[in-house]
Amino acid sequence: MKKKGFADLFFVFLLLYLFLPILATMFYAFATNWNKTVLPEGLTFKWIAMLFQDSSFIEAFGRSVLLSGGAVMLALLFIVPAIFVIVLYFPKYEKWIQAAVVMVYAFPGVILAVGLIRAYAHIGVPMIVAVLGAYVISILPYIYQGTRNSLRNVNARQLLDAAELLGASKAQAFLKVLLPAVYPGLFAGALLSFSVLFGEFVLINLVVGSRFETVQIYLMKKLSTSGHIASSVVFVYLVLMGILTFIISMLTKRSKGAAKV
Amino acid sequence: MYGNNAVLSNIDMTIEKGEFVTLLGPSGCGKSTILRIVAGLTDATSGAVKIEGKNMNNIQPKNREVGMVFQSYALFPNMTVKENVAFGLKMKKMNESEIEQKAKEALAIVHLSDKEHAFPHELSGGQQQRVALARALIVRPKVLLLDEPLSALDAQIRKKLQADLRSIQTELGMTMVLVTHDQEEAMAVSDKIFVMNKGKIAQEGTPTEIYTKPESEFVANFIGHYNVFTRKELEQMIGNKLPGERQKFAIRPEAIHLTAKEGDYRFKGTAKEAVMSGNVIRTVFQAGDRSFSVEQLHERQASLVLGNTYECYVSQEDVVALL
Repeated sequence: MKKKGFADLFFVFLLLYLFLPILATMFYAFATNWNKTVLPEGLTFKWIAMLFQDSSFIEAFGRSVLLSGGAVMLALLFIVPAIFVIVLYFPKYEKWIQAAVVMVYAFPGVILAVGLIRAYAHIGVPMIVAVLGAYVISILPYIYQGTRNSLRNVNARQLLDAAELLGASKAQAFLKVLLPAVYPGLFAGALLSFSVLFGEFVLINLVVGSRFETVQIYLMKKLSTSGHIASSVVFVYLVLMGILTFIISMLTKRSKGAAKV
Repeated sequence: MYGNNAVLSNIDMTIEKGEFVTLLGPSGCGKSTILRIVAGLTDATSGAVKIEGKNMNNIQPKNREVGMVFQSYALFPNMTVKENVAFGLKMKKMNESEIEQKAKEALAIVHLSDKEHAFPHELSGGQQQRVALARALIVRPKVLLLDEPLSALDAQIRKKLQADLRSIQTELGMTMVLVTHDQEEAMAVSDKIFVMNKGKIAQEGTPTEIYTKPESEFVANFIGHYNVFTRKELEQMIGNKLPGERQKFAIRPEAIHLTAKEGDYRFKGTAKEAVMSGNVIRTVFQAGDRSFSVEQLHERQASLVLGNTYECYVSQEDVVALL
């Protein structure tokens, strides 16, 4: 009993440790005033409304969606077909992708930023394009894992063989059988990548700075002017991430069901 | 070829139309590779595959009129049972009403009419394999290849599906080639068996021929619990010279009996241990430094007492000389 009581206490402490800052930030986004009291003096939607009336927030949000979404689309367009071909037809080259995946994790953002500036700043490549390129590469691990796991789960090679033996051309087998079968996994990988990029700050701040204000840079600016607005940005961000996480978990469940072939 | 090693060599097989043929062998003996070559999914480095006399070497899998059922079913997870079964006909651009009717017929053959709207993951392994079979049968391939289709299923369902497979094959008169490592399965369904070892055909024949007349020690060991003796061992046991020049001999455990018939070889053995497997009792005997096993039908009264020494007999034609 004593042991269980201790475990419960520890668990509660851990939850508080993890969630208290988030809860406090969320409360602050809705607080009229919260300086001298334990709880906010009153609640208001004023800060959220102000945030959405601020055109620079809407623009920053749009830029973040465009940049992250664009990078994900490019990755889906170029990286996914490459992973398909390698996993299905040239599995011996998979180790090279795995090495690339590790390298993505190994490079700290600061070093990557300095590298990008040194490599591209003086040759006329717009730095935002350089960042976009770096983003496409940085989500390689998520796209690779999502695609490869889906392909393995559905036993992709055999699905293609089965479809071809039933009279499908290679293109038909790919479009009608393989793509719909791995789609949930791919979509989950894409959403995960999007949410990671949406929260990225180091690279965009160091390489492009305020010339291309994303939500994260907007948030950084607001931190020094209005705590309430900054908290509102965090709240909106958390809600968006919550929705994305929910969709990802739904898709993962679905693809698990589909995998039991 | 795999690296520098030949996976298959000297494979020469002729399969008659409407025949149920089994490629039987241990894992890695190249039997699945033969199926993939016939289907066109793997290219052979040399040789030719002919179906109804037509060379298939440069013909794509989709145009070979060959069907295949895989061990892992390979059902399309995003499609319902009916959509899976209808896929082949859709690729042939058959009209919808005809597809509907044929899909229903195919599902009836495999007793799954009530599951047409289910998704593959909602079905048991046995049901999934039935769907895979219906999907392959519906396009009426000239040859249906079955790549260990039953090995992931439990024993009872496997037996039932073996019987179903054979009856469907007889009913449709379809040529089928089954790959398996299960000798009982091979014996149960086949018209002809090719026993394979290390990329070569070790022996071909009817199930009875393969079982009663194994040509090599490998086949004798693989298809049953044969007792394999060297010439010296067996001659010492029976106290007689054996005919011919062959150096190894095989005796089926059920061919050894305890009552004498004229012309039988006779030898003594001490019953050491007995294992009961349903209707058969396998008793291990010791004769000098050699042991051998004897199988008898399980009868109400145990006829053998462990520790006792018995006179054993085997007729001369049941002593099979091996290559």
